[in-house]
Amino acid sequence: MILLEVTDLSKEFDGLRALDRVSFSAEGGEILGVIGPNGAGKTTLFNLISCLYPATGGEINFHGKSILRLKPHQISRLGIGRTFQMVRPFSNLDVETNVLVASGHPFYPSLWKSAGPFHRPAILEEVQILIARTGLQPYAKQLAKNIPLGIKKRLEIARALALKPRLLLLDEPSAGLRFEESAQLMELIRQVRDQGIGVILIEHNMQVIMSLCRRIVVLDHGSKIAEGSPEEIRSNPQVVQAYLGKEA
Amino acid sequence: MLWQQLANGIAIGSVYALISLGLTMVYGILRILHVAHAGIYALGAYVGWFSFRLIGEFWLSLFIGMAGSAIAGYLVERFLYTPLLHLPRIAPLIVSIGLFISLEEAFRIVAGPHTLTYNATVGLGDLSIGSFRLTETQILILLVTLVLLIGLWILLTRTRTGLAMRACAQDAETTSSFGVNVGAVIAINFLIGSAMAGAAGVLIGVYDNQVWPTMGSIPAYKALAIVVLGGLGNIPGTVLASIIVGLAETFFIGFLTIPFPRDAVAFIAMILVLMFKPYGLLGKA
Amino acid sequence: MISGYLITILITLVIYAILAHSLNIITGRAGQISLGHAAFFGIGAYTAAMFYTKAGFPFWLDILLAGLVAGIVGAILGIPCLRVRDDFLAITTMGINFVIEAVFLYIPFFGGAMGIGGISLPNWFGREMTKPEYFILILVVFVLLLLLDRKLERSWIGLAWASIREDEQAAATIGVDVVRFKVLAFILGSAMAGLAGGFYAHFLTFIMPQNFGFGQSIVILCMTVFGGIGTRWGPILGAIILGVLPEVSRPIMEYRTLIYGVLLLAMMRFQPGGLLGPESVLPQVFRRVVYRSSVRSGS
Repeated sequence: MILLEVTDLSKEFDGLRALDRVSFSAEGGEILGVIGPNGAGKTTLFNLISCLYPATGGEINFHGKSILRLKPHQISRLGIGRTFQMVRPFSNLDVETNVLVASGHPFYPSLWKSAGPFHRPAILEEVQILIARTGLQPYAKQLAKNIPLGIKKRLEIARALALKPRLLLLDEPSAGLRFEESAQLMELIRQVRDQGIGVILIEHNMQVIMSLCRRIVVLDHGSKIAEGSPEEIRSNPQVVQAYLGKEA
Repeated sequence: MLWQQLANGIAIGSVYALISLGLTMVYGILRILHVAHAGIYALGAYVGWFSFRLIGEFWLSLFIGMAGSAIAGYLVERFLYTPLLHLPRIAPLIVSIGLFISLEEAFRIVAGPHTLTYNATVGLGDLSIGSFRLTETQILILLVTLVLLIGLWILLTRTRTGLAMRACAQDAETTSSFGVNVGAVIAINFLIGSAMAGAAGVLIGVYDNQVWPTMGSIPAYKALAIVVLGGLGNIPGTVLASIIVGLAETFFIGFLTIPFPRDAVAFIAMILVLMFKPYGLLGKA
Repeated sequence: MISGYLITILITLVIYAILAHSLNIITGRAGQISLGHAAFFGIGAYTAAMFYTKAGFPFWLDILLAGLVAGIVGAILGIPCLRVRDDFLAITTMGINFVIEAVFLYIPFFGGAMGIGGISLPNWFGREMTKPEYFILILVVFVLLLLLDRKLERSWIGLAWASIREDEQAAATIGVDVVRFKVLAFILGSAMAGLAGGFYAHFLTFIMPQNFGFGQSIVILCMTVFGGIGTRWGPILGAIILGVLPEVSRPIMEYRTLIYGVLLLAMMRFQPGGLLGPESVLPQVFRRVVYRSSVRSGS
């Protein structure tokens, strides 16, 4: 079931083409990888999908409807959650509260409902379940700025999951993590996929990408240069060239 | 008559430019609203006045005033702003406001609440062509401002230091990865911006023949409005906005004699421009 | 018997406390810099004064209008202003303060430089309220406002504000309509300041434009920041210390402005959270003193 359809998506910054007519689709219950050398436009792609700034061309459809002109908070209400490359938890709030804020998404659209207390057993229970599922229990009461990086990344995912999303955009979740932390994270992502949520994963860690993704899209200098299964991508000469070319 | 107003407006606008440039340069590199800059401006006037009393020579007192402001600006950056860069931006802003208030009060307590007279003569004499007249101090202002602005322009566009300054204003993190000493660039920004403000203080002190503790109050917010009008962090934009405000003030108040507070013109202009260009005349997102 | 002077100080204190509290909602809770808060204090004061002296409205009505009008103006100005980056907001709020003060000063309808006089304490039970009674009245209102603050803090609105304060963009990606909640804080804070203005007008019995300029905005900001921005009791503590101290000590009154400036500077430089903030030195000193004294008494 196709969740997200990106068609000829383009973004220009002051004459610089960050993204040039990129097209692909993402399905529920599947992990789609997006890879490419630095500056290829991967994070720009995510920023366009979550509407942090407007696209300069093309279409993005979610469940068949265009989401191009929406605002970021409307995107999340539709069921698209995301994490950031440079983790951005709410530093001075504790882990529990970080997740709790996101759990309020059904109330925020109405000022009247928002005025109600957040201390509701049903919601608090949901938060606890989410924290347990993402292995954040030992850190529940700690301030987000004091927890290790790997835990911060999990917190961001937990926060995005609190939105009850259909689609999850993960931006380099394993960057800066140690081997075991990476493995744990991969397991968590698999679990998310198994629940039927669609995942789009930006990663530099090839091991993570190859083992998690069923399909991979490769970007270079803003254009899509390849799409296919891990084996196809691995043996694609253009892809190899794009990466090697950058190193040289 | 028109030429006279034009000249008056440009003279005033030039001084505004001298003050506002420091503000926009600091914002460009640190993203801080350096409200205390107006205090640095007034400090320049006081230091200049004081050295003029001691020495009796104008150009030297101008230089000393600029030096005093430059040093003060550097100290502010080093001890008050840089240590707070990791905090939300309201922190350095409030520190700046506190410093500004303290400076004004310090002037009042140290030098007295009364207006001091800064009657320096430069020996240039007035310029009169028919009914068009440029007073000596106006000529002085135009001259000094021109020299300083051209000097700044040369620095920014023709030297390596200037290139480093512009690069840092764009993206400090990337620039430092190229080996540029960002700390030094920040210090230079403050030194130059503060020195120009000090020059403006001396020039205004001589132009109005007045130096008083709260002389920085109006420039404080007027410079802010000018900087926003031109585009926060944009140097050409600030110069343009300064001239526009100088001309607007002179025309609307002096010429058309609209009963409107002269100092509100800058804010009105800012609001009008922001409605059509939300980032200022030459500013970008 | 409570002296008249003491009551005057107490009433002034409560008014300042309401003001500091109202700014705390905008700046402390929602994280929006407002450097022109005194403008809404002034709008409330002038609304109450004008309706009382020119339209003959009773106190109870013009006070409500004071808060309402200030809140409405807050909405009108807030909606365009809060879309922009916080640096712009600081300057824009300064500009608003300046323009509104100019309106009161230059438009004759508002009494010009002489302001508006002839306002009095409210009437009830067929006579004018006494000052102690007025104090009780505004104290009750203040307590109600504190309760409102408590309710908001425990609501989704409070959480939304906290997320906006921490990271606006991240807040947007979890479903928070950032502009709407910012405007809400701005309207509430402005309305509260307007209410304080109404109380001020009826107490002082005359008001002048100079009371509501940038200087006053800075005093309010000082109180909020000094006590501890974002905390519930911080602004009150700030109002007490910064409001009472100059009244009590003559020499301090002389250097009042300098002290404000230096305190503001020092507090933000070394203890940005304020006296009651999270990393404040005060609780630590307190703990050490209590510990030492309990050790000494052998407990």
